[in-house]
Amino acid sequence: MSLREEFRDWLTTNLVGDFEQIRWRGSPGDEDGHAELRRQWEQKMGEAGWIGIGWPEAYGGRDCSLMEQVELNEEYAAHGGPGRAGHIGETLVAPTIFVHGTEAQKHKFLPGIRNGTTFWCQGYSEPNAGSDLSNVRTKARLDGDVWVIDGQKIWTSLAHESDWIFVLARAEEGSKGRDGLVFLLVPLDQDGIDIRPIRQMSGGKEFNEVFFDNVRTDADNVIGEVGDGWKVAMALLGFERGASTLGQQMQFRGELAEMVALAKQNGAFDDPSIRARLAKAHAGLQVMRMNALRMLRGTAGPEVMISKIFWASWHRDLGELAMDIMGDAGEILEDGTLSRLQKIFLFSRADTIYGGTNQIQRNIIAERALGMPKEPRGKA
Amino acid sequence: MTYPFSDEHQLIRDSARGWLSTWYDAAAKLPKIYDGGLGVDLAAWTDFAVQQGFAAISIPEAYGGAGLGQLGRAVIMEEIGYHLFASPFFSTCCLAADLIEAFADEATKARELEAIAQGAQIIAFADARALNAGRITGVLDASVADKILLAVPEANAIALYLLPAGQFDIVQNKTMDGLRNHCSIAYDGLEGDAFARCAAPDFDAVLRVAQTALVHESVGGAQRCLDITLDYTAQRVQFDRPIASFQAVKHRCADMYIALESARSAALYFAVAEAHEAQEASLIARGWCHESYFKVAGDAIQLHGGIGFTWDYPLHYFFKRARHNRALYGSPQSDYLQLAHYLTGTDG
Repeated sequence: MSLREEFRDWLTTNLVGDFEQIRWRGSPGDEDGHAELRRQWEQKMGEAGWIGIGWPEAYGGRDCSLMEQVELNEEYAAHGGPGRAGHIGETLVAPTIFVHGTEAQKHKFLPGIRNGTTFWCQGYSEPNAGSDLSNVRTKARLDGDVWVIDGQKIWTSLAHESDWIFVLARAEEGSKGRDGLVFLLVPLDQDGIDIRPIRQMSGGKEFNEVFFDNVRTDADNVIGEVGDGWKVAMALLGFERGASTLGQQMQFRGELAEMVALAKQNGAFDDPSIRARLAKAHAGLQVMRMNALRMLRGTAGPEVMISKIFWASWHRDLGELAMDIMGDAGEILEDGTLSRLQKIFLFSRADTIYGGTNQIQRNIIAERALGMPKEPRGKA
Repeated sequence: MTYPFSDEHQLIRDSARGWLSTWYDAAAKLPKIYDGGLGVDLAAWTDFAVQQGFAAISIPEAYGGAGLGQLGRAVIMEEIGYHLFASPFFSTCCLAADLIEAFADEATKARELEAIAQGAQIIAFADARALNAGRITGVLDASVADKILLAVPEANAIALYLLPAGQFDIVQNKTMDGLRNHCSIAYDGLEGDAFARCAAPDFDAVLRVAQTALVHESVGGAQRCLDITLDYTAQRVQFDRPIASFQAVKHRCADMYIALESARSAALYFAVAEAHEAQEASLIARGWCHESYFKVAGDAIQLHGGIGFTWDYPLHYFFKRARHNRALYGSPQSDYLQLAHYLTGTDG
């Protein structure tokens, strides 16, 4: 039996009972529901050895190739596997620790991720450090054998359900920009941490403000060198693209299929302009898939830089098309809550903002893929 | 290695690009072709097809070709599009070759495909279902062809003829594009037998895939428009800065790059598609690539300002080609409408 078949069997046997209600749930825009069940599910995945499959066996992984990981991600999405509560730990924290962490840090942090018992969130953005991330002001100072952290983070997804946060902070007094930063791992369960959920335009509360007042973490919990925080932070963002891309596309495919079915049922499909838009959305999905295969199967070139803006814009268009298919019925909140399609419409306004806005993506493409001159920086 | 291409594809690309770049002569060749009026550079074609051997690229090895399939064809068509090479590669080595390979008997295949692979004949394809006031228009390369491959509708079939071009009344159209041989043809009785008869849906399926080779030309053309624009905006100084440093210009170039690379993905998706998804992939690639080429070519002119609008600057040739590619076999909109049938599992 191939690994893919083994995984499919496992999903069929285990994604049942209480877990049935979180099938197809928990993607971005829907991450704040069923928190406890999704944590239990993560633990179940861990017990069966489905987390960290690409890691070396010595750390509890299965040494799977990138294409094998892609296959399992596709299988998971095709089966309606719930949005993974542990995805930040598995796809961002772990690869960063593997590359920049010490052996001791690997033994300290990887098992909790691998077993689905420790949950992570990302402490990057601040009120004055959004697109200009290097403007972070949160301070960290070493006091004996602990770091002491003061400041504020914002747009922190799932902080209220996490155990640890990784924080980009300013370690050198008076330093500016990319210099003097430190990348720290910080436990959230302590006095001095104040987490305040932010209600989004889609009604949910996935994002938070996180306040740090005399917050402490062990001196050992620095990843990389003090002063090199920027380098580590950027390396982490580089791990965002990868095996999960095709899984995300399976989710998109499911959304489009639901829209086609609805359009056939409510008559919108008879309108040629709606038909053409649905077909173009389908074409966009195939383009996205080929984008990913070019990235995963070949030597990735600069064309990988189009993937974020491409999927984000595609998904936002999809949300608008969903509303045009629904017409006035799209106004009505059945059961008083947003349907899946209504959520896509509202939440996809965030897709083109988080993880680098479309405008920042265009800067990156122009400067790094096309070699055009860099933006001049202000002197303020 | 650059997926999905092999090292062999890369060698062929390098060699085609080298030869075509000499032919292109920093765009100096384009007005010469335009003014020449024929829309084909026959001497260059002989060299390209015979001496360089590029006519054989996607002809199966069994018939004297290189057997490099859709991906080999993609490489050559991209490079042709990048240099606007005025040649009968598309009509002869794509349209005619595919129809002959799919429907002719072994003896005809052996004879005709081998002659195509050797660069020994030019064949134009004409579809008599598109008869308009007694003439078939949009027949590429007819006035320079040795033979016409003619599809004639019958009661329950399509009959395919391969006849000497001399039997036809051929008029070359003067076109906006000007770098393509575009003809309308008429005939008064046919002297010869059909070499094959086939069901219309089978015929259309093969024809659609053959026509889709044009998407690679669009990708190559879009790449050239972006390259020209990046060169120009890096050199052109206004307000004491290269205009490439302005965000309005950078963001437009980024959008051109997104259009180009997504079109390349669509074209490659088509080129590697398995037989069962070829029709769907063909519609996706046609809609996406021709639309993207047109957008990129238009943006290129815009970012050049006045100079981009002049006859002496080469962009207008690419812009006109982009317009023609998106019109030749139906608009992107009509491609998407046909594609919509595949969304619900019913036939197009």
